[in-house]
Amino acid sequence: MNLERLPNEEKLSLCRKYYLVILVLMPLIFSGGFAFLPFLWLVNVVWFFKEAFLKPAYTEQLLIKTYVKRSALGLLLWVAVLTTWNIIFQHFRAQWGEVGDNLSFTIPLGIP
Amino acid sequence: MFNPIFQDQIKIGLALNSKKYEFSNFHNLSSEPEQNGQPPTAHAPRVVETEDDEEEELTLKYGAKHVIMLFVPVTLCMVVVVATIKSVSFYTHNDGQRLIYTPFPEDTDTVAQRALNSILNATIMITVIIVMTLVLVLLYKYRCYKVIQGWLFLSSLLLLFFFSYIYLKEVFKTYNVALDYLTLAVIIWNFGVVGMMCIHWKGPLRLQQAYLIMISALMALVFIKYLPEWTAWLILAVISVYDLLAVLCPKGPLRILVETAQERNEPIFPALIYSSTMVWLVNMADTDRPNRNSTEAASSQQEPPQPVASPAPSSPSQDDGGFNSTWVNQQQHQLGPLHSTEDTRREIQQMPSARPPAEDDDEERGVKLGLGDFIFYSMLVGKASATASGDWNTTLACFVAILIGLCLTLLLLAIFKKALPALPISIFFGLVFYFATDNLVQPFMDKLALHQFYI
Repeated sequence: MNLERLPNEEKLSLCRKYYLVILVLMPLIFSGGFAFLPFLWLVNVVWFFKEAFLKPAYTEQLLIKTYVKRSALGLLLWVAVLTTWNIIFQHFRAQWGEVGDNLSFTIPLGIP
Repeated sequence: MFNPIFQDQIKIGLALNSKKYEFSNFHNLSSEPEQNGQPPTAHAPRVVETEDDEEEELTLKYGAKHVIMLFVPVTLCMVVVVATIKSVSFYTHNDGQRLIYTPFPEDTDTVAQRALNSILNATIMITVIIVMTLVLVLLYKYRCYKVIQGWLFLSSLLLLFFFSYIYLKEVFKTYNVALDYLTLAVIIWNFGVVGMMCIHWKGPLRLQQAYLIMISALMALVFIKYLPEWTAWLILAVISVYDLLAVLCPKGPLRILVETAQERNEPIFPALIYSSTMVWLVNMADTDRPNRNSTEAASSQQEPPQPVASPAPSSPSQDDGGFNSTWVNQQQHQLGPLHSTEDTRREIQQMPSARPPAEDDDEERGVKLGLGDFIFYSMLVGKASATASGDWNTTLACFVAILIGLCLTLLLLAIFKKALPALPISIFFGLVFYFATDNLVQPFMDKLALHQFYI
């Protein structure tokens, strides 16, 4: 979709929808109880970034900015969590023995 | 670079079509300001006549650009498939599993038996495809939209979650990297949900295109894995013929589908067609679109019932009248390890236009190509790279052949301006090149290399 075509209200509501989808889905989901969708936040940030920060101001821009900022924050949080977890996992997997194996989806062969 | 007068005519013509007089939304109206606000009927004859003059010139202008616009995604899809085939052995490794649609094994003792088996397999598949297409057309004709949409939804769900899960697993196995369940769950979940949103609801165009390419590649990989060799080639050939018949014959199911959609003036399915430009209709009816519940699965009803720019000759300024290429041909059959998903996958191929073409779009018109075409092209190239003795030579030859076929198809599209099957020409060239290269060129090259004779 081409953002230039959208009237401003639609842009705002689209941005908000993306943000809210996370919040709305949160109570509903299976395995974790959270929506766990950092990718969606990333899409939000990238897609609306130009709109929020690089365009001359218009009325709804403030709200769009807020949502983009919040999405970016959430995204950074998730990235930090995932990176930390992965570093820990990759480093200590062998040492954890059985727990490590249970956690693993693919187990490399030939490497302890 | 587009003739502004033509664009005006287009807009006016489109306004005639859509019965909206939202001239203020159009750009580039500077050349004819006095037309704003005047009743469009006064300009109808003018629309037609200038249209004709400009048509010839513009079809060619459109042609080259749109060909390129389609080359890129088709190439990307093929590259992904070939790269996966070359690196991940899972997809070439025949572990004896077959789909229920191809029950006859090909590792038989005699050549004759093998040939017979593959013919039988291909026949079964084609029958399934024909049946599915007919079911789809019937459903469409009797307005069972919900069924169709649910079907599509399920099939894309399957592709996005299950197949990508398998793909990821195999890729990680190949590179011998450990992955834990948590990260895996997060990745697959994100990929799937954002994919569903992009494809069925709204999303950035590039992301949507990327997702469509990815699911086409996944589907092609499944085909390559589960179809035995001779069956695969036979199926490709037969599907091209079927495609030709289904789209061009007056009683062909796809043609009926297109015509019904045109009569009802609605966009054909909320399904999976690759479109090279965005499709956003800037008109009054759209302002309440984004407010709809985003969790609704089907996006089709969310699209305003604009007349689809399918090749209806009646409206002179159908924007991509000439280029609604081959979305109609998608009814390619999909195989799948699970029976229930068969049907869902079938749907994917039904291409009719996901969104109505951008009618108020003053930039380049989009070209649409159905996902089934992507899948079969990639399947051909993938099979060529997997099983050919000539390896890269054959792969490249097939790739070039398919692109040439695509060019020719688009050229024909520009000339005939109606929905055309994209498969036959490309697949025919691809098959010819594959067998020729494999059997003629490669031994030649081998001999030359053996004797260190460079030409």
